[in-house]
Amino acid sequence: MPEDRFERLANLVTYLLDAGERRVQGATFAEIVAAIPGYPEGDDARRRAFERDKKLLRDEDIPLVEDNGRYRIPASDYYLPDLSLSDDEQLALQLAVAAVPLGDGGDAGGAALQKLTIGSELAEFDGRPVGATALADLDEHPLLPVLHSAIRNCSTVTFAHGGSGSQAGGAQRTVEPAMLFFREGHWYLFGFDRLREAERNFRVDRIEGGVEVGEPGGFDRRDVRTPSAAMPKQPWLMGGGDGVEASAIVRVDGVLATKAIADAGPSATVERHDDGSVTLTMPVAQREAFRSWVLGFLDHAEVLGPADLRDDVIGWLRSIATAD
Amino acid sequence: MARTSSNFASRLRRMLLMVPWLLESGGSTVPELAARFGVTEDDVVRDLNLVMCCGVPPYGAEQMITVMLDDDGSVLAWKGPFFNRPMRLTPTEGFAVLTAGRALLAVPGADPNGPLATALATLENVLGSTGSVAVELEAPPLLGVVRGAAERGERLGIAYYSAWRDEVTERSIDPYSVFSSDGRWYVSAGDSRSGALRNFRVDRISSAVPTGERFEARSEGLNPERSFYRDATSVDATLDLPASGRWVVEVYEHADVEELDDGRTRVRLAVHGERWLERLLLRVGPEATVETPPALADVGRTAATRLLQKYGAS
Repeated sequence: MPEDRFERLANLVTYLLDAGERRVQGATFAEIVAAIPGYPEGDDARRRAFERDKKLLRDEDIPLVEDNGRYRIPASDYYLPDLSLSDDEQLALQLAVAAVPLGDGGDAGGAALQKLTIGSELAEFDGRPVGATALADLDEHPLLPVLHSAIRNCSTVTFAHGGSGSQAGGAQRTVEPAMLFFREGHWYLFGFDRLREAERNFRVDRIEGGVEVGEPGGFDRRDVRTPSAAMPKQPWLMGGGDGVEASAIVRVDGVLATKAIADAGPSATVERHDDGSVTLTMPVAQREAFRSWVLGFLDHAEVLGPADLRDDVIGWLRSIATAD
Repeated sequence: MARTSSNFASRLRRMLLMVPWLLESGGSTVPELAARFGVTEDDVVRDLNLVMCCGVPPYGAEQMITVMLDDDGSVLAWKGPFFNRPMRLTPTEGFAVLTAGRALLAVPGADPNGPLATALATLENVLGSTGSVAVELEAPPLLGVVRGAAERGERLGIAYYSAWRDEVTERSIDPYSVFSSDGRWYVSAGDSRSGALRNFRVDRISSAVPTGERFEARSEGLNPERSFYRDATSVDATLDLPASGRWVVEVYEHADVEELDDGRTRVRLAVHGERWLERLLLRVGPEATVETPPALADVGRTAATRLLQKYGAS
């Protein structure tokens, strides 16, 4: 971005914030272009330049309000109220932002850290300055703040989503967003899919292109869920498969018993054997996902029953063994 | 609305932060500002020059921000009307803090009723979005043992499962730091076998026994390289996958992807040992083929035949 446009935009934000605080009714287009240096000569060119600036501010999530031809940025939307945190709480948030970096110093997490540490030395964590120790990293995605803002405002979001197995150009969805959650390296959006008329989970990194955000108050907020209630951790427990409901019995040897128990989760029962192996009895609703999980153990796991699940694995292996 | 990320927002944020910080701290230097805000000294000078031009109309002395930049690199600032605002978070920043906080609370051992939890509750309340962000960092069974040893500086004897070679090896490690990346826990450790600094996946450690021996903490080389433990040599392979196996492209790092006419996908990726490839091929099924190298063409068939024998069904 050219330096003079940046300067114009920075001035525009400060002017509109000021307009939002001092003059509730805001400022007109004519007042804005007269007051802010850097707009081109000529009505059409000015209007086009102003429209481009408006779009950029909105794309950057800056809450520009237009009301009867008057513009302002309400400080109450641009900033959250003072959190009135105790020193301990303030420090805890500093540590969290430092321990879980969400990008470089120029991003929202970095800016938040700067604000939380204004007027103080950077805190220490494990004896090292904050920022030197990262405990966890979460995959940052540029759509996350937009989606979270839509959840807060009860705005629908419309996007194209390419689920697994689809070709480029997924179906267009309009979703009432309810929750963002991070699991096994990916962010998911949970919400009500108006097209399918059902609750669905969408991997955020599979949203193709941008997101169109609806008007605030577009739906009633739904009850809060936990991620486990929104999406079972075990893919073979998810509905919508081929409808199999079975109780699978799997023997796993000592090498991978610990991993199998952890994978199977609390819905499985575990019988331990002297040689370190285990027998798991676990519910299965989706045959393909279960087979894929078992085969990931190679020689370390065997499906003992029921017969149709065991035969399914044998049939699958046979088709591979005899493939051309 | 298609949303693209420009550097406008981050630069504006930086400017909106720099001046209040200067006012609060009573002055600074260009190198200090560069270090604090993670940018070059040239960027700092460029931003400060721009700050001097910003303010609220009519741009009189009362409305302008006064910044003095000395030849010796020292910087002073006087209050302007806008940049003197209290340091409150924007909703986007609030979301970033909430996410980081939820992640830290998900780490085993975090106090669910401590200051972090109460601060996050306040923040969620202010954001008007209770329960809207959750982070799961699944803790493997031995995470506590490994973290304890790292904190004490104590050597561990471990049994480690290599998924690539499908075998368990025993070794001793000096655990320097424990961290979560992409939802998995790793320990960055000195490895007795190779003598090198390695990252081990904690969920693949099947036993961990503290040895009572101490090691010297290392202050450098901690987990930046993400040099994950690999003990199998990688081979470049080309696979043809059916539409149902397209998940491979999303899950594994690959060099090339080519969409074929019939909905199939050709992918070139690094194969980390035969066991690794067996696992992939058995999961994708009979329609997956290995195009190159020829030496790997039969890996899927051979593995399926071997497993059929285990099932007594060959």
